Amino acid sequence: MLRVVMAVLALAWTAAFAQAALAETPKRVTVSGEIVDTWCYISEIMYGEGTAHHQCAVWCAVGGIPVSIKDANGDVFIILRIEDRDPVDNPRVVKIQSHQVTAHGDLYERDGVRYLVVTQVADDKGVVNLTHEEYGIQPFGE
Amino acid sequence: MLRTFSVVLALLLLSLPARAAEEWGIDHEKKARIEAKVVDILCELSGDCPKNCGGGKRQLGLLRDDGKLVLAIKNFDPFAGAVVDLIDFCNRRITADGLYIANPKLPMFVLQFKRLAPDGKWSRANWFVKRWAEAHGAKNKGKWFRHDPAITRAIAEDGVFGIPGLKPPKDD
Repeated sequence: MLRVVMAVLALAWTAAFAQAALAETPKRVTVSGEIVDTWCYISEIMYGEGTAHHQCAVWCAVGGIPVSIKDANGDVFIILRIEDRDPVDNPRVVKIQSHQVTAHGDLYERDGVRYLVVTQVADDKGVVNLTHEEYGIQPFGE
Repeated sequence: MLRTFSVVLALLLLSLPARAAEEWGIDHEKKARIEAKVVDILCELSGDCPKNCGGGKRQLGLLRDDGKLVLAIKNFDPFAGAVVDLIDFCNRRITADGLYIANPKLPMFVLQFKRLAPDGKWSRANWFVKRWAEAHGAKNKGKWFRHDPAITRAIAEDGVFGIPGLKPPKDD
């Protein structure tokens, strides 16, 4: 019996060690920018920034499309977690769509994608990118 | 003659893939069919691995045999991601059919069809709206985004532009 228990423990330890060994080391970063709907912004299927796109960004966040922070260079950081909560179907993520934020977090880069675990939203200026006068309401005008 | 034509046409149709991705006209897009394991991206990166890939609360990716991790960003439904279509395949191999978008800013995959590899039954990647309709009633599923309670609440609170009190101009 003891041997079986030892074997099970050894297997569990090996599995945990293997998982940890595969994990990558993140970089601590601070990112400032606009919370965007990643799909609409990157695909350019419509104008995807600021007030003009806010409603659509809410639709897409509720629909589970990855949400990002877009920095001043136009680079996007996919949010994988935000203040200890997962991002999909998360009311906090819906609430901050189109907001200008500064966030502290852990950055992972893999195969051309920047993934961000947001540990703290340090500053939230709300929606400040006023694009609706030029672009109306994206995508249907209402 | 007609029979011959019918047989040839049937053979041609049978020779086509069971499901075929359609182009959406997105820059850098290319039709793609890949076999890969469905993974919880955060688990893959950090080793933080809850049960069942987070149960639908986390973003999911496709881990190819060459070790490349592909972000699954979109499914076939309007304004919906791929999590609902992939979560049932957590840590299993699927064949994913859709569009690989090799945008240098962000490479990503649009899931249009999926099946359990190697020879499961194909299904269209439209399970978000199916599940939404099950939860909220099928009547409004065509424009689910106009009827979802969380969206209605968010827009009622902050307005269509995200700034309380800022409203679109009324038509003359």
